[in-house]
Amino acid sequence: MKIKTNFCFAMIAALMLSACSTSVERLDSQEQVDLSGAWNDTDSQLVAREMVEDALSRAWITKFVKQEGTEPVVIVGRVKNLSHEHINTNTFVANMERELINSGEVQFVASSAARKEIRDERGDQDLNASEATRKEMGQEYGADFMMQGQINTIIDMDGSTQVRFYQVNLELVSIKDNRKVWIGEKKIKKLIKNSKLRE
Amino acid sequence: MYKILCLLCIVVLSGCAGQQRATNNLANSLNTQGPEYVLDKLQANEPDDRDIAQYHLNLGYLQLINGDFKSAITTLSLAKREMAVLEAMSVSETAAAGTVSEIYRSYSGYPTDRVLIHNMLALSYLFNQDIDGARVEMLQADVSMKKLAQRKSVRGQLASVHLLAGVIYELLDERSSSLISYKHASELLKERGIAQPLGLKKALLRMSYKLGADEQYAAYKKQFPGLAKPEVNGASQLFTLYFDGVVSNKQEKAVMVPSHDAEQLIRIAMPAYPPLKKRPQRATITQGNQRLTTQLIENLETLVRDDLDDEYPSILLLTTTRALAKYELVDKANEKDSLIGLLVNIATLVTEVADLRSWNMLPSNIQFAYLETTENEVLINSADNVQKIELPNRSQNLVLINSLSEQIFHYQQN
Repeated sequence: MKIKTNFCFAMIAALMLSACSTSVERLDSQEQVDLSGAWNDTDSQLVAREMVEDALSRAWITKFVKQEGTEPVVIVGRVKNLSHEHINTNTFVANMERELINSGEVQFVASSAARKEIRDERGDQDLNASEATRKEMGQEYGADFMMQGQINTIIDMDGSTQVRFYQVNLELVSIKDNRKVWIGEKKIKKLIKNSKLRE
Repeated sequence: MYKILCLLCIVVLSGCAGQQRATNNLANSLNTQGPEYVLDKLQANEPDDRDIAQYHLNLGYLQLINGDFKSAITTLSLAKREMAVLEAMSVSETAAAGTVSEIYRSYSGYPTDRVLIHNMLALSYLFNQDIDGARVEMLQADVSMKKLAQRKSVRGQLASVHLLAGVIYELLDERSSSLISYKHASELLKERGIAQPLGLKKALLRMSYKLGADEQYAAYKKQFPGLAKPEVNGASQLFTLYFDGVVSNKQEKAVMVPSHDAEQLIRIAMPAYPPLKKRPQRATITQGNQRLTTQLIENLETLVRDDLDDEYPSILLLTTTRALAKYELVDKANEKDSLIGLLVNIATLVTEVADLRSWNMLPSNIQFAYLETTENEVLINSADNVQKIELPNRSQNLVLINSLSEQIFHYQQN
């Protein structure tokens, strides 16, 4: 009787698998949520903030202001993804740009793709806008420094446990003479334990 | 209660078995109907939740060889995530597999699937003009292979994945990583007893030479005495991958025997692969007087059979457990009423089906060839179809051809 009951129970359980419903909860965008252990928005914001804080606290900026009498003009270039994950570096670059602009200590120019669009608009204004409102060509602000970098990972694992080590390297290069005026590094280490059982 | 249960089991299980048969029939029709037709048919299917990873694997691969790279990336990425989740064991599914049928377990992919998916994704990214995305997949493939290698076997170790990683690193001018990947491919081929393709021998010589690894270069020079010194002369490079045929489907091997007291019938069903009869077809690359034939880098027929052999003990254990549980159930039902006993016995026989699921639309084997040329045109001949491809001066090219369609996919960088 017991075997029969157990068997029936197992059969019914098997037939009633996966009856879960979707639920959605709104979260604060600043809240830290880690699901898979992969690079996420928290990492992106954290690294961007710390890197910019570090960059702006170093001597190159005061030297530049003293020498030139104005804030440096910076552009964020390419951040290469050399990691094990498909990381959208555009969001990281956007975070960097926001932190740099909001610091108020540097001036900022648009990226090459944005500049192209603006130049097209200026070209269009040349033909179609009134003389009073037309913006002339050749008035652009040239950047003094470009920030570039890369994201690397090292993965170590044993069974279902994994250690992911992220290293983000950024550098600020003088566009005039290729001098590196600042190098920053931020490391993140994550221990990920995957469950051996599921529903 | 018993009657309802029997009926439910028969309906659900016959549906699952029907789905398996339909997928296998579609895979069988790839050779004759072509990938476009099969993709349309497969997309029209509504897969069972438990077969979703298998469905996405097949769908993604078909999207790749039909040239829909963006969809292939989306679909295969889904399959990759699903397999990662399903790696963990489900108690309810295992209980159902041990009592009702093996196909109550979600398809979580064999070791070959878990590694080869990175190859297919890397190719999709590459032909979608995203070499950085392809590089990420190769790094992930390396992690997957290391994870499987901890079990001290060549299980889940794929020479074709190391080879493609070598090519991608070479395209990115990461010479050290490229040489390491080519070396891994070469070592695996030796372990599997497959002859080294000429293109791989040349790659080992070329990368050790370019890297300035003099000792390694000398060793390879000694190992491959007939090959010329690599030239850094600005010739174009052409890496060719050829997907040949369609891998075999699993078949059900079943026996039905009366119980010792002759009061009920017991059915045992196990999956098995048919004997290997296919002979690989080759593609040829012609440029002026040079004529190259693609050579075997991965025999997937062997790999899928090895994967099943490795799973066999656990399949056997579950099949035996199930047979015992079903025997007890029929016995108890017989004691109550012989008609109910008969009905339950029929239900246990009908529900005993082998798990025939696999990534069964993959090629039968993967071949490779490498050509260096200063000419701007090359002819590629596969499955009686000759096509011309253009090679700009000093360009690096990777082409993917397959025996199922006339499409040639070409990644090029200058």
